[in-house]
Amino acid sequence: MAYDNLMGVLNGLVADFMFLDGQEIDIPAAGTFLNQLDNVMKMAENEEVRPAGEVANHLNKLLEKIVIGAPVDKGAGLAALDSGISLLQSIVDNYRNAGRYDGDIQDFIDRVCSLTGERAAVKERVVDASPLSSALEGGPVDDDVCQPGAEARAAGMPCRQEKVEIQDESLLSDFIAEALEYIGEIEINILNLEKNPKDKDYINAIFRPFHSIKGVASFLNLDHIRDLAHNLENLLDKARNGELEVSPPVIDVVLDGSDALKEMIGQLKDKLEGKLQDVFKSDISSLVERITIVENGGHSLEKTKKIGEILLEEGVITPETLSESLKIVQDNPGKKLGETLISEAKVTPRQISQALRKQTEQVSDLSNIRVDTRKLDDLIDLVGELVITQSMVQQDIKNQTEPDKNLVRDIAQFIRMTSALQKISTSLRMVPIKQTFQRMSRLVRDLAKNGGKLIEVEMVGEETEIDRNMVEEIYNPLVHMIRNSVDHGIETPEQRLKEGKSRHGTIRLRAYHRGGNIIIEIADDGKGLDKKKILNKAIKNGLISSGEGLSEQDIQRLIFLPGLSTADKVTDVSGRGVGMDVVKGAVEKLRGKMEIESAPGKGTTFVASFPLTLAIIDGMIVQVGPEYYILPTTAIRKVLRPRPENYNNVVGKGELVTVMGQLLPLVRLYDLFGVKTKYENPWNAICVVVGDDNCSKCLMVDRIIGKTEVVIKSLGNGFGKIKGVSGAAILGDGRIGLILDTEGLFAITENKEGP
Amino acid sequence: MEKNIKILVVDDFATMRKVVRNLLKQGGYENIVEAEDGISALRVLKSSKIDFIISDWNMPNMTGIELLKTVRADSEIAKTPFLMVTAEALQDNVIAAVKAGVSNYIVKPFTAEVLNEKIAKIMEKMA
Repeated sequence: MAYDNLMGVLNGLVADFMFLDGQEIDIPAAGTFLNQLDNVMKMAENEEVRPAGEVANHLNKLLEKIVIGAPVDKGAGLAALDSGISLLQSIVDNYRNAGRYDGDIQDFIDRVCSLTGERAAVKERVVDASPLSSALEGGPVDDDVCQPGAEARAAGMPCRQEKVEIQDESLLSDFIAEALEYIGEIEINILNLEKNPKDKDYINAIFRPFHSIKGVASFLNLDHIRDLAHNLENLLDKARNGELEVSPPVIDVVLDGSDALKEMIGQLKDKLEGKLQDVFKSDISSLVERITIVENGGHSLEKTKKIGEILLEEGVITPETLSESLKIVQDNPGKKLGETLISEAKVTPRQISQALRKQTEQVSDLSNIRVDTRKLDDLIDLVGELVITQSMVQQDIKNQTEPDKNLVRDIAQFIRMTSALQKISTSLRMVPIKQTFQRMSRLVRDLAKNGGKLIEVEMVGEETEIDRNMVEEIYNPLVHMIRNSVDHGIETPEQRLKEGKSRHGTIRLRAYHRGGNIIIEIADDGKGLDKKKILNKAIKNGLISSGEGLSEQDIQRLIFLPGLSTADKVTDVSGRGVGMDVVKGAVEKLRGKMEIESAPGKGTTFVASFPLTLAIIDGMIVQVGPEYYILPTTAIRKVLRPRPENYNNVVGKGELVTVMGQLLPLVRLYDLFGVKTKYENPWNAICVVVGDDNCSKCLMVDRIIGKTEVVIKSLGNGFGKIKGVSGAAILGDGRIGLILDTEGLFAITENKEGP
Repeated sequence: MEKNIKILVVDDFATMRKVVRNLLKQGGYENIVEAEDGISALRVLKSSKIDFIISDWNMPNMTGIELLKTVRADSEIAKTPFLMVTAEALQDNVIAAVKAGVSNYIVKPFTAEVLNEKIAKIMEKMA
């Protein structure tokens, strides 16, 4: 019969209700009851008994509130539930008999709503009657005069001293150890999250540790740690359920938050080990404020940083140095931090002036606007196409026998403007490499600590700009170079003292522009490359037969061969060892170059150069047979037509051409690319010398067409990787020219593999 | 009151497990087994006789509620008392646990009194 099932469930509810009623809500019974109410609602919908569905819905909300311990008059609530069940039975009965219910349910619903306070639709927080949780709301805090913790003061935060009672020492030390481990994981996962802001797994992996730390901190009465962890947990919870987008300000505040947590836990540790009298509790309110701003989608603009903070951030001084100097400043009113640091010989005047410069620069940072990067990329692509169209117009003009003078003049003007436009548009995508340097500086700090080394980081040219699309790409290779410097370059303080060096090693990060490239140097004053070790390893691995005929440079360069890690153990944050060959490969993938310079006992410098922009290159168009090819101008060293007497064919070494006293191998491009040409004698053709100081060859082409700037188009996935070719471009006349990659060409000729 | 019951404490944070262990000790419960996630908890549950489960909510690999559902669905161990530890969670979490058949929940941080009282009440009902 109709409605029988529904009635059956309702009768069951009556029985369940008996278990519900009592001194305390019986949770399992409530669970069963709630599940049954779900059934009622579902059936009511299926059988179209709308009033029953509505009543059941409100009963559901009421019981849920009671279960979570919300402030509901329990007696009245249970009574309402009881009446509710009767009302439901009555409704269904009526439907069974008359197909509808004429009574009024609004009164009952109002009654339930008044109990649940339902007009406000806010999610409830569970309130348990545990005395501890209520005691934790606003406990008393000591307000003594205090000595600031270094980072706290550096961050410009005032502080309060806290008397932390250590109840159970072993518990506390367990907590500290585990919490610090968790924070380490958080830091790694933040970096991962930065690269994949939408990855829920990473968000979860960061949420959980904060949640756990908060949990235990609340048991141990560590209020501030609990509060901060709680705020961070909330922020990440929002990210977890999609309410908040993981933008750079979010990443920043999470990083800063976990730093602050680390600092607080570190202080606890010191106190436990008797190193600290009392814990300097930093006032986390400004951090919490930032978290709140970011949580609400705002951009958390930091107030102008203090000098101490800037110096700390850049790794120029250590937290200990800062707190010592701050103490001096405190004791001597009128003295400034910068002065103190200089007079204590902790920093150089230049470092102070750099920090001051950064401080004022921050103010101008505030006049930025946010732009969708897709729009930016579209703009730059369009400008790129504009450049090509400009070339086409130039070509058309050239082809005219009697070009109109006005046209020529106007076109020249036009070209000037598109060039300027192109320069500006590429600069839009440029960002200072400072952020990358700062990340690297931070990494040095962490690695140094782990390795028991003292290292200071210097930065030069951090305002040098780089295409923002490249920032992520170059980070990994740079990180590996840093690791090398910290792990294998810089010696331990004791070793350094033995060698008459200062206990602190220095790593200098330097960036500058040169000839269309950005050059990044990572220099350490460590022990330099051990040439003998490298040589031996290379011979052992069968990469070379002996060290004969190898210059110093050549030996150093061996480090770029696969398998050449001479490290005795692999130290790596992520647990994998990476050789310099991988690093070099990564750099070259970005059309960059890598060099290494080293002096034993003095240090090692990695020099990586990258083209300033990925998309447009300056090239020279050459013709071979019917084909046009483009050689990047940065690779070209000389162009000449060799004389017959300068051409040699040496047995065992192949064809050679003498250029400026040097014998260089000759590469017949038409041969390499399988193209037919009339120009088979080098002295009738043109030789383009390409390469660098260490390796150059003569590429033989028919003739030079001209210089041009082109937008690089990739060949597309259908072509796979073609050795010697790094892309293609649409030339001024609409033809397609393959862009040649000299390293690849050299590899082909050396292995005779063919493209 | 039966204090010799075997209690399984599940939480991925070792220090937290230690905290709970200490609190249980204050209530006279000393027969305690630990597990660091749902999967090892299930292994313990299937291989030894556990009289009571105290589990955290938020754990990797298998959350507390997933563990609860798995226990309730396995006829061998379905009736085991299950106390869920939650931080001041939103009501959705608690309701979900209640609907999945949790014996009771307890909100962090809690005292030994509250914890042991809840355990006692649940055990009483079982008897």
